[in-house]
Amino acid sequence: MANILVIDDDAQLLQMVGLMLKRGGHSATLINNPFEGLEKLKEVKPDVLILDVMMPGMSGHDFTRQVRDQEDLAYLPILILTARAQEVDRVTALKSGADDYMSKPVTTHELMERIDHLLSSKQPVVKPGREGIILSIFSMRGGVGRTTLAVNLAMALRRLTREEVSLVDFSPSGGQAAMHLRVQPKVSWDDLAAADQLDHTLLKDHLLLHQSGLKLLAAPQLPQLANKPSSEFVTTVLKLFRERVAFTILDLPPMINPAVRASLMASDIVLHIVTPEVVSVQVEVQATRALIRFGLNLQQKIHVLNQITPEVQLPAAAVEKGLGTRLPFQFGFDEHQSRALAQGVPLTITTTQSPIPSVSLQMAEAIWQKIVKN
Amino acid sequence: MTLSQFGRNLVHMDIFTDAYRVTGRAAVGAGGIHAEISNPNSNFLDLQDAYISRIHEPGSIIASYNMAAFRKDNINFIVMVDRREGVPVGTQHGRSIFTRGRPVPAYLTVPSFEIKGELIYEGKPSPNAILTQALGRFLLVFTATASASLHPEISYSGDLILVHKERIGILCLEKPR
Repeated sequence: MANILVIDDDAQLLQMVGLMLKRGGHSATLINNPFEGLEKLKEVKPDVLILDVMMPGMSGHDFTRQVRDQEDLAYLPILILTARAQEVDRVTALKSGADDYMSKPVTTHELMERIDHLLSSKQPVVKPGREGIILSIFSMRGGVGRTTLAVNLAMALRRLTREEVSLVDFSPSGGQAAMHLRVQPKVSWDDLAAADQLDHTLLKDHLLLHQSGLKLLAAPQLPQLANKPSSEFVTTVLKLFRERVAFTILDLPPMINPAVRASLMASDIVLHIVTPEVVSVQVEVQATRALIRFGLNLQQKIHVLNQITPEVQLPAAAVEKGLGTRLPFQFGFDEHQSRALAQGVPLTITTTQSPIPSVSLQMAEAIWQKIVKN
Repeated sequence: MTLSQFGRNLVHMDIFTDAYRVTGRAAVGAGGIHAEISNPNSNFLDLQDAYISRIHEPGSIIASYNMAAFRKDNINFIVMVDRREGVPVGTQHGRSIFTRGRPVPAYLTVPSFEIKGELIYEGKPSPNAILTQALGRFLLVFTATASASLHPEISYSGDLILVHKERIGILCLEKPR
């Protein structure tokens, strides 16, 4: 039995939700005023907070922000329950810090399912004394499907863990991640780099929210000089991500510039993408040598095979031989990817069957298991 | 339908004007919201618990009031989650006048928005005839999505969108299915 606080200005709906919760075996505290709700929050110490959006004097979004600003309530599960039923409302709710969103009217069964999910969801990875994970997706060869895999891995981690997941597109030459997610890159790391002092609030303001809850720090739309962003900026930003975000996926450009170097040094895991082609294997071998020369002897390096064309030039065994290492994750050619890119809907959102989403979910599961075991 | 009040029901809706999105509840009778906005005896539509957002920031609420009145001519379109709250859809014995006919895929534009959905029409559809002859001053677009023209990532979906005919700039139709 959980202790649930419900705040809604509509007295009848409040009673109705209260009855549903009691029928579901929970105890409910019902408050019809957001200001009183804020006062009662510390006294009641709820396991879950259910919140209306449209309340006089303070919207549910503002309420959520105030709750999240309090350190001891930062992880309180918040479910937004509102008559505003549009996609933009869901995005706004998640952006304000809520964990879940439902549009009215709801059935007892639906409400109980969501409450159970919120109660049983895993403890946050990022909590005092434990930091988030940074994963880099890298290849010295362009056109190997790096962004596709970065986007789908980020989406798979979000889907599997329901944790905070961010994707960072560090490309200086007009990144592609925003296009894969069909979000408008109104702000980018270039705007963030122009700020005097970086902090969590500023970083949050520069993240674009996808409807899945995934957050994106986009690349600037206009190509930049290859030495941007600076290594100091990258180091500071990644420190901020690590403090608050469970998984940060870096989509790195195919070069060794200051940003890539700082990213690789900060990464816990680096996924090297190779395609089953002679050139790709040769470039990867040279890249490994170059990275060692630059002092980047990466311990947590994993090679990933990505077949981007229907024809295979080299079998996986030959690629493994050429690289002198195993390929634990191998993506077969996915005929649906071109449509997914055109529609701006990553395959991991819509299916689990085709090669890209199924291997992405396998990778996410392996990463998650590694974190849980540690 | 949600709550009853003197034999009328309070139904939720999103109303869009040129610059604002307003979410609230209106009291409607058996004819749904379509009967209210087509009522020639009043130029205004009353809304309870109105929550106002700007079109370009549709998720954030900038103001809220217990009561509001809309000039009907100023409404571009209304999004309803359930078509039964918009128009009488009929009974088990037959469809109503609003839902009789074949679905016709449609695309139309109003200021700042483009709307895709289905019109339900009996006979051979022609855009001109629909705009001039169909019932009421609002056109019914079923299973519809309205997308902001300049920000296509902002969209609103509803089982029914009622579009002010005089605000329609373009109306395109496919052959009925």
